Amino acid sequence: MKRRSFLGVLGTIFGVTAFGSVAYPLLRYLGPPQAKIDAGKQSFKKADVGDAREIVFQNTPAIIINRPGKGYIALSRVCTHLGCLIDYDRKSKKLICPCHAGFFNLEGRVESGPPPKALTTFPLRVEGEDIIIG
Amino acid sequence: MRYIYILSLVILVSAATTASAGYREIFEKEFLSKPWSTDIVAESSCIECHTSEVMDEKFRSIPQDWRVSWHAQNNVSCHDCHGGDSEDASMAMSHKRGFIGSPNYTDIPDMCGKCHIGILKNYVESGHGKALIEEGTGPNCITCHGSHNVQKVHIDIINAQLCSKCHPYERAKIMKQALFLTDKKIESIEDDLADLRKQGVYPDREEKSLFNTQAQFRTLFHTIDVAVVKDKTNFFTSELNGIEDEIKATFEELSFRKKFSTFLMLIFAGSWAIITLIIRSKD
Amino acid sequence: MWQKLKDGIEIRIGLTDLIENRLRQYRVPSDTNIFYTLGIVTMAAYVVQAITGYFLLMYYVPHSEHAFRSVQDIMTIIPFGWFVRMVHMVAANLMVALLFIHFISIFFMGSYKKPREITWLAGGLLLLVTLAFCLSGYLLPWSQRSYWATTIVSNLPTAFPVIGDALANLLRGGDSVTGVTLTRFFSLHVGFLPPVFLSIVGLHIFLVWRIGLSVPPLSQSAEEESEWTEFRHATYSRSYPFYPNFLLKEVSMIMLFLAVTFFIMSFMPTLFLPEAATTPADPLNTPADIKPEWYFLAPYQMLKMIPNKFLGISLQIIAIIVFLFWPFFDTRAERNIMKRPLIFGLFLVLLALWFLLTYWGRYSA
Ligand code: HEM
Ligand code: FES
Repeated sequence: MKRRSFLGVLGTIFGVTAFGSVAYPLLRYLGPPQAKIDAGKQSFKKADVGDAREIVFQNTPAIIINRPGKGYIALSRVCTHLGCLIDYDRKSKKLICPCHAGFFNLEGRVESGPPPKALTTFPLRVEGEDIIIG
Repeated sequence: MRYIYILSLVILVSAATTASAGYREIFEKEFLSKPWSTDIVAESSCIECHTSEVMDEKFRSIPQDWRVSWHAQNNVSCHDCHGGDSEDASMAMSHKRGFIGSPNYTDIPDMCGKCHIGILKNYVESGHGKALIEEGTGPNCITCHGSHNVQKVHIDIINAQLCSKCHPYERAKIMKQALFLTDKKIESIEDDLADLRKQGVYPDREEKSLFNTQAQFRTLFHTIDVAVVKDKTNFFTSELNGIEDEIKATFEELSFRKKFSTFLMLIFAGSWAIITLIIRSKD
Repeated sequence: MWQKLKDGIEIRIGLTDLIENRLRQYRVPSDTNIFYTLGIVTMAAYVVQAITGYFLLMYYVPHSEHAFRSVQDIMTIIPFGWFVRMVHMVAANLMVALLFIHFISIFFMGSYKKPREITWLAGGLLLLVTLAFCLSGYLLPWSQRSYWATTIVSNLPTAFPVIGDALANLLRGGDSVTGVTLTRFFSLHVGFLPPVFLSIVGLHIFLVWRIGLSVPPLSQSAEEESEWTEFRHATYSRSYPFYPNFLLKEVSMIMLFLAVTFFIMSFMPTLFLPEAATTPADPLNTPADIKPEWYFLAPYQMLKMIPNKFLGISLQIIAIIVFLFWPFFDTRAERNIMKRPLIFGLFLVLLALWFLLTYWGRYSA
């Protein structure tokens, strides 16, 4: 009888621990993931029409372009092919990857070359003299 | 009752065989010539012709060289460099379809530079490039990298045999020394990333930022200016250290996962043992 | 306070009666072995799949452009996402393994004989539904492995004359695996298959409960062996209560199953996660060695070896039909397989063949 109740207590302890150690990860899973986006609202200076400004937004090299007639856009500079940093070519109004000649238009979409998909776009707002990204 | 089932089975089998009778030939042919996964990708007409008997011996090994190249592994094919139309045999080598053929010695950098824009820029301004443009004698891309069998770059491409074709190796050696440590670091990070992949992690962000750093670093080499390389080494080292830190954090996370799972394993194995003992004590 | 609550519940539900008169009085034969718990362990595996599956659904995005990324984010960014996904993946494979062992032990103990034919049929269907779960779930991470393994499997129906291509296109929603296939398989995996599975499991377990567990053939008494002419619950010469003894055995086996799951997660985390599973799908690039999962290797290798595709697939369909309806073919009352050397030998040969083909499929080109 004694042995029985000892086993019972031990079993309860293990059962509760087991339940807790499975419930804990699941509860953590439900919590908000490290909020990446709203962690950083950054503001930057404006650029002239037709000009671009290279910035770093949350550790990602990015570029703000003031497109003639279409306003600002903020794009990641990380090429979607293998990750080289694209440059803005003022003359041809394109974004060019120096590594394997990936060409993107000013919306960030692929025009030619090996990149498989469009550049990441960051949401942006113009406030007075500043541009707020995030 | 079971005879009915067996009978229906026999009917099914014979029906299947009869139904297939007319198709048998087609199926056998299909099976022998087609793999299960996908249809064989149609060979380009460039390769078809260049591997055929009518082709001059000299040009016949080109497809084979290309097949093992870094370009082939990255889906860069004949027409990407040479132009022309690989899908239409009769127009394949038509200049109307942009066919270039084999370029002149001095035109090669432009051909490669169609894609490798950044490297072309540095090369053109370098001693190598100037010698080629002004005197028509300097080394072009294929002098060091080869043409059809282009391989992934390794620092040993800078070696006494190759460089001393044109000038004393000493100058190249200093360059190699300046590149050495950074290059080793890149290599060890590459190994770590391959290891992470094997362990089920998809380190694409690290891979991309490594490729960018490495590409910038290699582009820089094409200036063949030791002072520039030395000047930028600190910058590259700090970039690479950043990537290394992230990799280290990932390895630590993996070891935490292992410990956590082992803990759970022990808890459940313990529960199993205890319940087994409880059952014993009841019997 | 506590007592009041207990009484309140007792009056409304009658738990004591339930335990005393239903569970305690429900008897199971004394000679049951651990194989008798496999069914419940498989059911527990399904519950694990359902729970982790619902959790995965919170972050998984069923779209060809986001699926791979979302699964990788579950693995790296979401807190303990790796835990949920790894359990789902490992337990899925173990569930198939459990079903195989469950089925083999039932066969050896002759438990499918009259009056349990329908139970067997339901179980066979459950095995097929589980394989359908795996097939559809496999595509969801949209990795190289998912993409190409699905390409291979979805090409199988093309072996049928005339309707083959139409059939394959219906399965894929096009003539190759695309985003349409992904959403199609997704809806199968989380929308269609779970209710189908649960209904069949309901029937399966109801029948087991209604008829009563079978006695292992070697310890069967004459009375137990008597001819089944009208319905009755099985009677046993020696038995013990279902609650708590047998229930405890079942729970202990479930614990063992979980321990094995976490053993694989800690010491063989990449057993079901090869490199092709951490590479995004690329329709233009076939990876070097792409194989179906281990449970599909034998049928796959068999199809590769039979020179006529249609003959191969017909044979397999016939094999599935024979498997599903086996109790109706094998109607002899003799349950001791040792007294049926022909059947025994045939089954051993089939098992050996299965292992051989699996091994072959794994290591051949
Ligand atoms: C209600 C029940 C279920 C739901 C809601 C569900 C949900 C999911 C989801 C969202 C995925 C994609 C995420 C991932 O790949 O890890 C998945 C994958 C998968 N599921 Fe399920 N599932 C359920 C039941 C099952 C069952 C019963 C099985 C088989 C025994 C199964 C086998 C698989 C497999 C093999 C994968 C691929 C795992 C991988 O490669 O990561 N699932 N499931
Ligand atoms: S990395 Fe940009 S095109 Fe290759």
